[in-house]
Order: sequence, then structure tokens, then C-alpha cells
Amino acid sequence: MNGIKTENKMSSRDAILSRIKTNKPDLLELPIINVDVFADSRNIVDEFVLKVEVSGGHVIKASTTDDIFNQINTMFPEGKVKYTTLENTAAFNTVDFDTFKSQKALENLDVLVLESDLGVAENGAIWIKDTTLPMRVLPFITKHLIIVINQTQLVPFMHQAYQKIATEDNDFGVFLAGPSKTADIEQSLVIGAQGALSLTLFLR
Amino acid sequence: MNHSEAATIFNKNEKKVNWHDKALWFVRHKRDKSAHSVEGWEELRNLGQGIKAHTLSNLDNYLIQFEENALKNGVQVHWAQDGDEHNRIVHSILKEHNAKKVVKSKSMLTEECHLNPYLEADGIEIIDTDLGERIVQLAKETPSHIVLPAIHKTKEEVDELFQEHLGTKPCGGDPQYLTGEARKHLREKFVNADAAITGVNFAIADTGGFVVCTNEGNADMGAHLAPVHIACMGIEKIIPKQEHLGVFLRLLARSATGQHITTYSSHFKKPRKGTKMHIVIVDNGRTEQLSRPDFRASLQCIRCGACMNTCPIYRRSGGHSYDATIPGPIGSILSPGKDLTKHSSLPFASTLCGSCSDVCPVKIDIHTQLYKWRQIITKETKQPYVKVMSMKMMGDIFSKPTKFEKVGKVARWSLRNLPKGIINSKPNVWGKERDLPSGPVESFDEWYKNRK
Repeated sequence: MNGIKTENKMSSRDAILSRIKTNKPDLLELPIINVDVFADSRNIVDEFVLKVEVSGGHVIKASTTDDIFNQINTMFPEGKVKYTTLENTAAFNTVDFDTFKSQKALENLDVLVLESDLGVAENGAIWIKDTTLPMRVLPFITKHLIIVINQTQLVPFMHQAYQKIATEDNDFGVFLAGPSKTADIEQSLVIGAQGALSLTLFLR
Repeated sequence: MNHSEAATIFNKNEKKVNWHDKALWFVRHKRDKSAHSVEGWEELRNLGQGIKAHTLSNLDNYLIQFEENALKNGVQVHWAQDGDEHNRIVHSILKEHNAKKVVKSKSMLTEECHLNPYLEADGIEIIDTDLGERIVQLAKETPSHIVLPAIHKTKEEVDELFQEHLGTKPCGGDPQYLTGEARKHLREKFVNADAAITGVNFAIADTGGFVVCTNEGNADMGAHLAPVHIACMGIEKIIPKQEHLGVFLRLLARSATGQHITTYSSHFKKPRKGTKMHIVIVDNGRTEQLSRPDFRASLQCIRCGACMNTCPIYRRSGGHSYDATIPGPIGSILSPGKDLTKHSSLPFASTLCGSCSDVCPVKIDIHTQLYKWRQIITKETKQPYVKVMSMKMMGDIFSKPTKFEKVGKVARWSLRNLPKGIINSKPNVWGKERDLPSGPVESFDEWYKNRK
């Protein structure tokens, strides 16, 4: 950007900030979040499963990684383009994203299997961060999304989830609840809007 | 056209109005069910209110902190005093990257600034990618609701629009088929876009990051594919710390649609490798609203739309009757601050029942503010002659007990004895759509004195 633009930018910035300074009320105290008032007697795992299903996802309890991939192969026999970030499962992959050139080709991704280390019971949201993704767009552009998570990594509420996230430094992350959906045509719920058409969750 | 005139037009199609009313009331019910399932919901609302009110009282410092952190994250930050400057900034970023095809996810701010026509005038293609927004864009309309932009459209109307613009087959308005066709159409736009524009739900001062919430995945499809991402936000979107998202993400979707959280709550901090990220921070009248002690709480709004779904007037008059970017109760306290004359009828589009304030996740005293705007508007703008005179007469009657009693007696007798044709004659607008009750024999005062 050239010098004139920068000067303009500065002046608008300063004008806005000085107006706020003049117009804002006296300083009010920032409330402290007391997580205890939200505690309920619900079982975390049951609540999480329920909420993932409410958000349109399928939950399958699983034991081993082998078991999970056997089930995935039966679920999507027609899936040609498949990719997983799970360890020791490279045989599953039909693509290598390091060599991907065109974004259009990403649209052919049929099945994506990811791992998450954080799930939230109160709303079925699963945290996916970009350090675990070869490309940020993958969980959105894939036709079918599968996520594997351990029961021990579930927390009751968003408050605990953010306590955990606070210890990490993520350039991008998403709380994801169910497959993409919309009700924009006469309030009829349709699963499969612009993002993934389905979400399957393996809980181990 | 004022609100009641526009609402009269909307009410000509009775079947559609009834559907609109019921559909939104259903969303309100879903909100209740979802909110009531949360232990400590009221405490959560208190926190939402408290955090937002605190933030407004220290907004300049939080914006400075946000900018500093965003710059550290490699994000470029721009400031716009009004809608025009916002549009010029976005345009110059697009020009700089030679972007001709732009995808945009829902942003009421860019609607407020009229960004689309500004960019289109320079030959830039801008596609709204939220399904509801795409529908209204194809129909050359504006959103009639901030969360459900096409709530005023029937599925048959969408069917026809898609046949005309997307070449779909006639389907009798099948939502599954139409959504599938929109998916194909929009995905083609995503993979070919030169730039993506998104709104911002929350901007976090202590990380410099921001959160965008969608159900359709359209913000992410745009932002993660295009080489440039421009996020546009009003100054009031700031929250101090990341942990506060815990409060607001618990409140937002439950209040909006009754979902426990939106499908995608995307936390952007740094641009991905080889791409650019810009944030445009916009004032456009917000600092002025901040200066008004009675109305500044309206800046706490997190744009959930709960006040619209619950409002008996909104549900029966439709969003377009407000002729403002943000319709409904919250819009009716925001809009007069921008243009008192243009929006002078909006604070009167309310029964002052207070339901909006009861469902507001950040406890904005919406109906109190509506009442306060009425006091200002009545003083500062010209009121219809009939209204001025009748208010004067009523004021006179109410201030004199003897006169009040006499008039009451005549009115009660008239309601019992005069023919409907006279009672419901033209000057009595209350008799236009309804019968007045039969007048009681006794006044309350008489009943009270005579009771045993």
C-alpha cells in the first residue's frame, strides 16, 4: 500500500478510537465465570452421544483402529478417494495431499477420517485444529467426514473446552457439530448443505 | 412508506402471514426447549450481558489490543468510519489481488454498507453463499430476517427462482432437491473464487483471532479455498478473552434456532500459507450509539434473531416491512439512531409486551428502549394531526377524574347501545379488523366502591 492510503487508514482508526474514548461509559467490571453454577447430573458420554445425534451425526462405539477401518470400508464401499490422518493407517489413503495441485480436485474427496482430542458433551461439538490437517478445507469439502475420539477426551461444557484450548496455539480450529445443514427453504431441515453430507463419529 | 403501511401489504396474503407467524413461533419454541435444558441459563445470560457491557466500557483499548494481536498473527487490519469507506477498502483489497470472482458468507454488516452493488458496479461478481441469502440475492431482494434471510419466501417461489437462474427442473418446491442443486452451484463458485468475504461473530482481543458461525459450512468453503480472506466486523463484535467464547457460543445458537451450537464455529487466527487475511473494522454510526446512555446497550447484540422470532408484530408484519437492514425489535432500537426521520415509525411497531427483552441472550432492555425512542420521536418528528389531537384529548381526560368518569359513562353506554356501523366507523381504527367488547354497566371505580 502506498503512503497516502496508510495515512487515511491511520486517521480513520484514530477518529474511531477517539470517539469511543469520548462516548464510552465509565468502566464496568468484567464478570468472572463460575463454572460450578452450570453443573448438572448428566453422564458426559451419554450426553455427548445424544447431542451428536441431535446435530445429525451418527455415533458408533468402537474398540480398536482396525475395527474402525473395517467398519468404514463396509460403510463406504463406493468411496474412491479416501484419506486419513490417523497414525499407522496410511494404507487407507488413496491420495497424497502434498502433491495436490488443483483445488477443484479436492471436491472429489469421498471419505475423510480425522482424529480429535476434544469433544463437548453439552452440544456434541468436536474440536478440529489445523495442526492435524494437511489442508484447512478438508473437513468441509469432503463428502463424508469420520472422526475418531476417545471417551476420555470429552468435557461437559464449552467452558472446560476453552480451558483446554487455552493451553494450545492454533492458527485455525473449528468446533464441528454434525454434518452441514440448512433449513433456509420453508424451515425444512436438509442435511448436506455446502459442507460435508454426513458425519460419523467413532467413540472408543 | 411507514411500518404499518408496509405491514398492511404483507398482510394481504393471509395464508402466507399465518405460515410466517407459525414458522417463527415454532423457532421460538425450539429456543425455549433448548434454553431450558441448560442448567444456569439465566446466569449464562447475566454473564453474556456483563461481559458485553464491560467490553463497551473499555472498547477502545480492546480494539487496540485486538489490532496489535491480529497484526502479530500476520493479518492486515483496516478501519472504516462509515459504509462508504468500508466498501472502498474492500474494493481496494480485491483490486490489489485482481479478484473478479468473490464468494461471501453471511454478514449483516456488508448488507448494512450495501457492499454488493458497490462491487458489482465495477464488474466484480459477488455471490452470497448462505442458501437463504443466495435465494434473496437471486430474487433481487434483501434478507427479511438476520438468521433466516429467506423466511418470507415459499418453497414454490424458490423452485421458480432456481429454474430461472440455476436451470433446475420443476420439483414442486422439494427442499432436498433444491438444496442439493444449490450445493452444486455454490461449490462451483467456491472452487473458482478469487477472494472470500465473511462476517465476524466474535473477535477476541487477547488472541487477535475471530470466530465465524455457520450451519452450511459456506464461510469455511470460501475462506479456506480462496487466496484472500476479508473479514468485516462492526466495532462491537469484540470480546476480551477467548474463554468468553464459552459463554457466547452456548448462548448464540440456542437463542437463534434452538440448536445447541451451530454446525461450524470456526476460529480464524492466522492466514494459511501463501494466502492473505484482512480484517475491516467498521464504525458506521456505532460510536454515536455508544454515546447515548439509554440506547448503548443495543450494541451488546450478538445477532441471534430471538427477539424477531418472539415478536408478535414481527411475526405478522414480515421483516421487509421494517425497511431496515436489521428488522424486528433490535432493529427498531438500532435504526432510529442512524436516521430518526426515516425510521420514526419503527419503535411504534411493538406492543411493548417485553418478550424480546425476556429472550435476549445478552439481556438488552429492548422494549424499554423502544418506549424511550417513542418519547424522542414524538418530540422531534412531525406526528399525524389525528394522533396529536387524540393524544391531547386523552391526556386532558386522564388528568381530570370527573371528566374521565363522565366520558367513561358515555363510552360504556355507546358500546352497549350504538349500532356496529357507528362504533366501527372510519375514525375508529381499532374497529377496522375487530369488534370492540360490549361496554360493562359499571366502571371499575363503581364496582370497587359497591363491593361488599
